[in-house]
Amino acid sequence: MHILKSRPWNLPESRVTPEALVFNRRQAMALGAGMLAAGPAMAQQAGLLPAMRNTRYVPGRAITAEREVTTYNNFYEFGSHKTISPTAQRMPMRPWTVKVEGMVEAPRDYGIEDLLARMPLEERVYRLRCVEAWAMVVPWTGFPLSALLAEVKPLSSARYVVFQTATLPSVMPGLRQTWYPWPYTEGCTIAEAANELSFMVVGAYGKLLPPQNGGPIRFHQPWKYGFKAGKSIVTIRLTDQRPVSFWEKLQSQEYGFWANVNPAVPHPRWSQAQERMLGTGESVPTQIFNGYGDFVADLYTGLQGERLWA
Amino acid sequence: MRLIGLVLLLMAAGLFVMFGTDPLGALLFRLDSGLLSLVQAGVQRYLLPMLWDDVLLPVLEAPAFVAPAVLGAALTGFGWMRARG
Repeated sequence: MHILKSRPWNLPESRVTPEALVFNRRQAMALGAGMLAAGPAMAQQAGLLPAMRNTRYVPGRAITAEREVTTYNNFYEFGSHKTISPTAQRMPMRPWTVKVEGMVEAPRDYGIEDLLARMPLEERVYRLRCVEAWAMVVPWTGFPLSALLAEVKPLSSARYVVFQTATLPSVMPGLRQTWYPWPYTEGCTIAEAANELSFMVVGAYGKLLPPQNGGPIRFHQPWKYGFKAGKSIVTIRLTDQRPVSFWEKLQSQEYGFWANVNPAVPHPRWSQAQERMLGTGESVPTQIFNGYGDFVADLYTGLQGERLWA
Repeated sequence: MRLIGLVLLLMAAGLFVMFGTDPLGALLFRLDSGLLSLVQAGVQRYLLPMLWDDVLLPVLEAPAFVAPAVLGAALTGFGWMRARG
């Protein structure tokens, strides 16, 4: 008996893709361009990420597992617990515009794709020390803030840089607490901004930055406590007025303007001498300036009268 | 019970006169700017995030007089019913 079995790869001639379509390179390129305009994954496909690692910055610790970093987050617009990641996925990451304004010669609105294409992207493995005494080590992708400042040309009168986070009430349940001083605002001096460590982050672990970590663009100064790093930034403003940040307005006795890491200066409610590594749970001694003193200590000479450490 | 209810109703009236329709959260924030963020973090991190979002936050979002008014009316009504047997 002759039995005919239908194999999964047996397809009728009618379902074969036409040869012209398979080999039409123009169509394939058009499809690629459409994808480029479509969304966040596209910058990765366009070859911008992963970026080359800058080996000048050595964290001295193992990189924290990606899963830990992307599922344990502080982002108060989405809630004050650590598992805001599912809620944060509702935030639209494209289109996204970053406005650079204030005391600059050339104020400008940057579309995020334009910014990614213009800036010198690189990967830096930085430590991050949270004021809550936990820490992680993350391979961020981004560009030095100084590169952006060079484009907009700060006026000589500009003394501070202020970062403002997006306010999207339809996707950020935390904004229902209208009594908090939204939008989330943070800032630093222009000298701190110009320091080589000051980094605008657009990616992590070789991928675009996810929303729960402050995507599509956040700030990071690794020698300061993590709350100083504005997430999901929409405005960068240069000013001659020292900003009063979100947490400073809420609890100025606990969260000040400078907030440099110092194990010898405790938070009013807990010690800062040790930090718990995310993932391993290992407790390690905290270092002054989070171990970046060689890069930044000279920024603070002559500022002994300031509350530099909390 | 009725007495507590009446006190709460009086408190609600006072809050309405003094603060109008200002949310309870805004009022507490004015009294102590750090209090609510501390309570929120405690509830969301150590109890249940939804307890804050779905139970406490609606109370804080409502005008300050609403919570004592509702509680006062309930206690007064319940006390009145119990008194009638």
